Amino acid sequence: MSYDTHRTWYYQIVGRNIHLWQLVDSGRTDTVSGYKIFLPGEVYSKTLVYPDESITDGLRFEGTAFIKPFVTVDPNELDSGSNPTLNEPSPVDETSHVNLSRMQSLAVVDYIKAMIADSNGNLDVKEYYMKEFWQKVSDHANNRRKTSLSSVSSPFAIR
Amino acid sequence: MTIQEIMERAGTKDTTLVIAWIKDAVNLIQSNQNDNVTTWKENIVDGTREYAFPANLIKLRNISILDTGDNKYKKIKRLLNDPTITEDTDPE
Repeated sequence: MSYDTHRTWYYQIVGRNIHLWQLVDSGRTDTVSGYKIFLPGEVYSKTLVYPDESITDGLRFEGTAFIKPFVTVDPNELDSGSNPTLNEPSPVDETSHVNLSRMQSLAVVDYIKAMIADSNGNLDVKEYYMKEFWQKVSDHANNRRKTSLSSVSSPFAIR
Repeated sequence: MTIQEIMERAGTKDTTLVIAWIKDAVNLIQSNQNDNVTTWKENIVDGTREYAFPANLIKLRNISILDTGDNKYKKIKRLLNDPTITEDTDPE
């Protein structure tokens, strides 16, 4: 049975894989009257070992993913007051919708203009549109964050 | 916004190329923002250390292990250095 997994398990990124390690107390042990005891005089330390047990659905990755880049309906319009059901079109054609917000879709337009400029060798124009792309992408992110700035004015400030 | 609308705004008629560029742009957005976050679960096998990243993962946020004691996933830490291996039954 796994317990305190946030303290006893570690991972390491190795290329396309991760390596899982479990932290265990090591040292030579013996069982006396049903109790496991460390033998005196032995080196006792914490050691990383391969996973020591099988756990169904035990490993969970969380991250961003390439999921449904194109959908059949506009993802930014409500469907009778509810969020729309998004299905992937098959095949993807010109009538398919991009599964992004309006602002991100406008950013994609800038990205495509940048790529067209890149293919034509207009690097200045490409840089301009890439800047516009990132500007719109960050605008979209900022639209979901509410931040406030406050500063203290000095008692002798001119008001 | 439809692909056709994007093509009209960008002033191009090459649908295949535009679809490829849209995929690239979506990948760029997902690489830099936590816009479409999801989870994947995998079985842990006794004695197996190596597990592959999900194929469609773009940006990793965290990795958790199921604590079967209280049935909750708990985030685990990443090892910054290679561990000292004294006994490796499956050297690669």
